[in-house]
Amino acid sequence: MTTRVFEKWYREDRLPHIFCTGCGNGTVMNCAIKAVDTMQWEIDDTVFISGIGCSSRAPGYISTDSLHTTHGRALTFATGVKMANPDLNVVVFTGDGDLSAIGGNHFIHACRRNIDMTVICMNNMIYGMTGGQGSPCTPAGKISTTTPYGATEPTFDLAGLAVAAGANHVARWTSYHTKELTKAIETGLSTEGLSFIEAMVQCPTAYGRRNKLRNAIDMVEWMRTHSILLQKARRLEAEGKPIPEDHFTVGEFVNRHRPAMGVKR
Amino acid sequence: MKLMIDERRCKGCNLCTTVCPYKIFQEGRKLNERGIIIPILDRPERCTNCRLRHLYGRQLCGACQMICPDQAIYWVEEDPYSEESVVIEF
Repeated sequence: MTTRVFEKWYREDRLPHIFCTGCGNGTVMNCAIKAVDTMQWEIDDTVFISGIGCSSRAPGYISTDSLHTTHGRALTFATGVKMANPDLNVVVFTGDGDLSAIGGNHFIHACRRNIDMTVICMNNMIYGMTGGQGSPCTPAGKISTTTPYGATEPTFDLAGLAVAAGANHVARWTSYHTKELTKAIETGLSTEGLSFIEAMVQCPTAYGRRNKLRNAIDMVEWMRTHSILLQKARRLEAEGKPIPEDHFTVGEFVNRHRPAMGVKR
Repeated sequence: MKLMIDERRCKGCNLCTTVCPYKIFQEGRKLNERGIIIPILDRPERCTNCRLRHLYGRQLCGACQMICPDQAIYWVEEDPYSEESVVIEF
């Protein structure tokens, strides 16, 4: 007997996948599949949907039904799937460029409608597949091919946006925090209504190479040291102290019970 | 149980070297036939899952398997006292 990771869920004939060395998308795939496996969902009742980008290649390696759709429109296709057959369990994989840049409007309205699905956003802070252009999530001062003197715009806080737009469960973790990320995805899968999990992933090839984080290990270490737990950030805020520069908050942002759409009958 | 690295899948990112609490995974030095430096296992019998999986009847630790982006780490069942049959060819 061998204990490979979730042999049932991976398409063994498609592996090894095309992600670069040290890419965090594979880790997030592991966490998502572990969460789906603990939910004891059947392969036939689960649909993975994705848009365009590095992260959106993930459903191609999973043995369930999957849709690889147009750029930014993963959530619209997912809405259609869920409305057509509410008995299906819908999970959406997107990237930051896919969800926040071109699909921003769809994301807001999916949160507003509160459709019963789980959205996992693999935020690698750059457009990785097209050669490292700056995305709305590139931190200020970081270098990409379209921001050669450092990004000047403020970043897009996707978790905050989802909370404001009305998603039922919102969390953010990194690919270093595998246990917490698995727990968060599991909570998201069991919550009715839209649950949004933002997973910060390392991209040593397109992002790290230009920002002095050439190794996967360096970049994971950067994410570990630069993530602040939400409770601590709120405590700092209450004390009137500023959150240190370049840091981002991780944790469960909200878990509420707004009326949801397309819940299984 | 025995810890293994799938050489056909591993891309040599060395993320497993950072998470193992026993530091079983060490950075390798030799290229394999695919041109990738695969981590070497330093006394893998120390692994928690190898030692105690049967006692507890569930997956233990497994941090390396979860963080491995290439799904290359796995465990195999091993029978330490299996008799080796010798085939004599004439």
